[in-house]
Amino acid sequence: MTFDIVVILMFLGAFSAYLISKASLKAGAYATTVFSLGALAVLLMGRSEIGSEFSVLFMNFEVTVIGWYFSGVMVLVYAMTSFFNSFWMDKMMYPGSYNFLYLFSLAGTLGLFFASDLITLFIFWEVVVWSSTFIIPMGKSRRAAVVYYTISSIGSMATLYGIMLVYRISGTLVIQEAFVPLKEDPLTATVVFVIFVMAGLTKIGIFPFHIWLPLAHGSAPHTFSPVLSGGLVKMGAFIAYMSVAILPAYEAFEGSLKIMGIPLQLYFLMILGAISIVLGTLMAIKQEDAKKLIAYSSVANGGYILIGILMMDQLSFAGSMMHLFNHAIASAAAFLAIAVVAYRTGTTKISELGGMIHRMPLTYLTYLIAIISLAGIPPMGGFVSKWLIIQGLADRGLMFMALAAFFGSIGSFLYVFRPLAAVFLGQLKPEHEHLKSEPLMMKIPMVILMVLILYFGVLPKWLLGIIGEIQVAAGIEPVMMSGNTILAVNGVLNTLNVFMIFGFGFLISLIIFLLMQKSRRVGLMDTYTSAEFIYTPELYHYAGAFYAPFERLYQNHPSVEKFLGAIAWKFHELGTVVNALFFSHKPAVTVFWTSVILVMITLGGAGI
Amino acid sequence: MVNPVLLIALPLLLAFVSIVFKAYKNNLLVFGTLLNAGLVLTLNKGQYIIGGFQPPFGINLVLDDFALTGILIINGLFLVITLMSLEKLEGFASVLLVALAGLNGLVLTGDLFNLFVFLEITAITAYILSSASKEYRYAFNYLVLGTLGSGLYLFGLIVLYAVFGTLNMADLSVKMAAVDASQLVLPSLLIFIGLAVEVKILPFNGWVKGVYSGTNSLVGPLFASVYAAGMLFVFGRIFAQVIPLGTYLRTSLVVLGALTLLAGEVAALSKTRIREILLYSSIGQSGLIAALFLSGLVFVAVMQLVNNALSKAILFTVAGQMADSTGTDEGEELQGAFLEHKIAGVGFTIAALSLIGLPLFYGFISKMNLLFGIFYSDNYWLPVVILLGTVIEGTYMVRLLVKLWTPGDEGIVSEKAFATERPLTIQSSKVMGIVVLSVVLLIGGLLPAVIQDNLTDSGSLLDEVTPAYLFDLKGGQ
Repeated sequence: MTFDIVVILMFLGAFSAYLISKASLKAGAYATTVFSLGALAVLLMGRSEIGSEFSVLFMNFEVTVIGWYFSGVMVLVYAMTSFFNSFWMDKMMYPGSYNFLYLFSLAGTLGLFFASDLITLFIFWEVVVWSSTFIIPMGKSRRAAVVYYTISSIGSMATLYGIMLVYRISGTLVIQEAFVPLKEDPLTATVVFVIFVMAGLTKIGIFPFHIWLPLAHGSAPHTFSPVLSGGLVKMGAFIAYMSVAILPAYEAFEGSLKIMGIPLQLYFLMILGAISIVLGTLMAIKQEDAKKLIAYSSVANGGYILIGILMMDQLSFAGSMMHLFNHAIASAAAFLAIAVVAYRTGTTKISELGGMIHRMPLTYLTYLIAIISLAGIPPMGGFVSKWLIIQGLADRGLMFMALAAFFGSIGSFLYVFRPLAAVFLGQLKPEHEHLKSEPLMMKIPMVILMVLILYFGVLPKWLLGIIGEIQVAAGIEPVMMSGNTILAVNGVLNTLNVFMIFGFGFLISLIIFLLMQKSRRVGLMDTYTSAEFIYTPELYHYAGAFYAPFERLYQNHPSVEKFLGAIAWKFHELGTVVNALFFSHKPAVTVFWTSVILVMITLGGAGI
Repeated sequence: MVNPVLLIALPLLLAFVSIVFKAYKNNLLVFGTLLNAGLVLTLNKGQYIIGGFQPPFGINLVLDDFALTGILIINGLFLVITLMSLEKLEGFASVLLVALAGLNGLVLTGDLFNLFVFLEITAITAYILSSASKEYRYAFNYLVLGTLGSGLYLFGLIVLYAVFGTLNMADLSVKMAAVDASQLVLPSLLIFIGLAVEVKILPFNGWVKGVYSGTNSLVGPLFASVYAAGMLFVFGRIFAQVIPLGTYLRTSLVVLGALTLLAGEVAALSKTRIREILLYSSIGQSGLIAALFLSGLVFVAVMQLVNNALSKAILFTVAGQMADSTGTDEGEELQGAFLEHKIAGVGFTIAALSLIGLPLFYGFISKMNLLFGIFYSDNYWLPVVILLGTVIEGTYMVRLLVKLWTPGDEGIVSEKAFATERPLTIQSSKVMGIVVLSVVLLIGGLLPAVIQDNLTDSGSLLDEVTPAYLFDLKGGQ
């Protein structure tokens, strides 16, 4: 089985999922699972066929290691999330179209990662953008779709300009050849680099393009948020990789000003990445909505991934590639856990929830493991990748980035703990007393993701092996491992030992827990305040203003949302001005402008 | 061999017949448009002399690839739009036949004065059709400005005739090329403004707002796709082939085209009524296509023109139908309007996405080609304007589509219950027309060679002005 069949089959699968949905909605939803699992199986089995080339219609493809890796991550997220689709079929406005667009955007990402020429790359980029644009408004916000589309389109139009410029200079669109002449011309290379990478920045959600993430991830249908945050954001990382590795940026910017050995052009982007980490962390701490919270954490994690890719070295780059995978599955798992809660309770507001562990313990465990990984705490995968990134940064002496990365790690303790404590732990609300546990079909993907997060945190050898291949293909030293020990310059990390230590600690606390007296459950309303009974459960919830003293430290922060909103409003006003000036219902106005143009151009022409 | 003059003469004849046999005028219209569309397919390229005088002394029709593409689009779209709105004709059948004759004449004629006559004929039918909205004031404004335009065109024509002594296009282009272009700024500019009124270039397009915003499902698509295509073909003929522009005038006019694009898109962004959004988008597209013609990029300009004509035919049909049946075309009032009209909605969506230039639709192919074309003429600022325009266009189109598909206030999950209660009806004839047009857009996007090969010929004649850098879709050649 070859990759060209997969790409075509996925597009056909999208149409058949729509047709099946017409017959039965549930069957259509299961079709999305079958097709995405099939694609995953083919990808895993077809690893030996990396390097094959094929053409479909006028589009050309080549399967590279990195393309294979990215598509694997993407298909995994899509496949796991698709288990949830069937539960939302009766709640969705256009269930058939949802199934269609779901598979259609997945097919688009496959085409994107396998593209061997720049036009094919751009075609699939735009296909994914517009197909996902129409899924988002089926959720809670119409504005989110428009903002998502506009920001994406600013990025992709900039990239298109870059593609045209490259084609004008090199005369070819083949990705491997098109950028070659740029190495001799640092100035043009800078221009191309900056505009080409724009699509990547907008998609990863790097400051100041991050504003679409909380909006779109936060209000998309519950089954699409995991895909947006875990999957589609990674498309941006692919473009960022292309701009650095294929351009290749380090060679092209050899002669430019360097800071700690990093060319200024790249350093500038790294700073944007560092700002994203800090900003994403601080904003996530403030959020009242669990989905928005994870969305802001995606902004922060996007910063890590971007910085790592830009480093193009042995450690940080490997860390970034691994973090891409870890964040994809962890953020998908976290969004899925929230989706389960939303499915059963109908809300994602933190203050309206609580005590979910008593009703859906597996969901609690999934969320716990996912956020431990997101925060970069051992023994989960997220720890290994963040460790690698910080190792690389510290090794190069990039203290500013390393500080931001460190801040992000500490800050994430604050924000991941809050939904954990307020949604899953604490007191169960009276109206949630009779909630049912999660359905079986929801348990399957959550268990798989949980196992993966833990497995690659303990035994990352297989994953790092593939990443090593990517690094070799990109012409940099691969990350080294001996046994279960990752070798870095400033130290080694034996993930298995780390797991043992944590396992031992867990065991001891388990023994203590079992030996101690069993706790007695007290109902939330089983209390009174100053001899007064309170009947609104929300007032007993401690999640509101959870970190108020900390938030006060930056409550008057400047907001880029307001600034971008002001720009958008200015365009709006400009439209009104243009309208008032030129499009009048009085013919005299047109006659006036006609005379002005006539006189001005004629006089100008006479002067020449 | 079929003489292309039949394309002009037959509809005119049928128009007169239809006045005598009033009862059959709708049948005569259908007969005429079908006949014309059939005739187009049998035509042979060449020069056809009318009246027996050899050019440059007599009038001739020039049927080259450019003109052939033009009449193919005009007659094809005219047929589809007429068939879509047969019950909506309201006694305009005779006028429509005259309009068909005038539009064919515009594209076919090889003589500048003859062109003026056809311009007037076409314009008069447009004035009459624009009164269908019962907004007589706007129709009257259009009349005033249209007359101003044709007056200036005639003025420019007189100057050229006084200088060169000929009005034959081929003859005139040779004679004008021999003269320093800076000497011809005034007559060229006068002719430009004369055509710009109809082509909707800023700031000569004050009439568009009033006329387009009230159009029904017949007049809207006719104006926005057929009339616009006809006028743009004339514009391309004159400014890419006949009148040589000096660097100064060319640059100024390209800037004017680019400003029209930006102004149109920005104005559309600030609007909420569907037809207003579409009319400003039409203005923007006209500015873009005119700028391409003025830059000498005839082939890509024709591609974009075709894309615009096909998309706008769908968009204005649906928008006009919304206004006709619900009494409003305010986006806010029509939330979720496509819920009950999915096929028309999908057609509308395809047209809008194609207009933005998103892949899998024909608009993407034309947008890629025009960008390649501009880059290869070493113009690096025009693509910036076009891409900025694309971002703005995408924003308001997606905003509109999202509203029409998924109703509901912010913060609430979209539900069927929030959909508009206004009774939108779309006749099956319209749905069929929309399906046909959107299938063409899809085929053009997936198998561009089909449309590409038919269009390539329209560029081949103009190879001297159109450098051959066709985007061959094979990953760069």
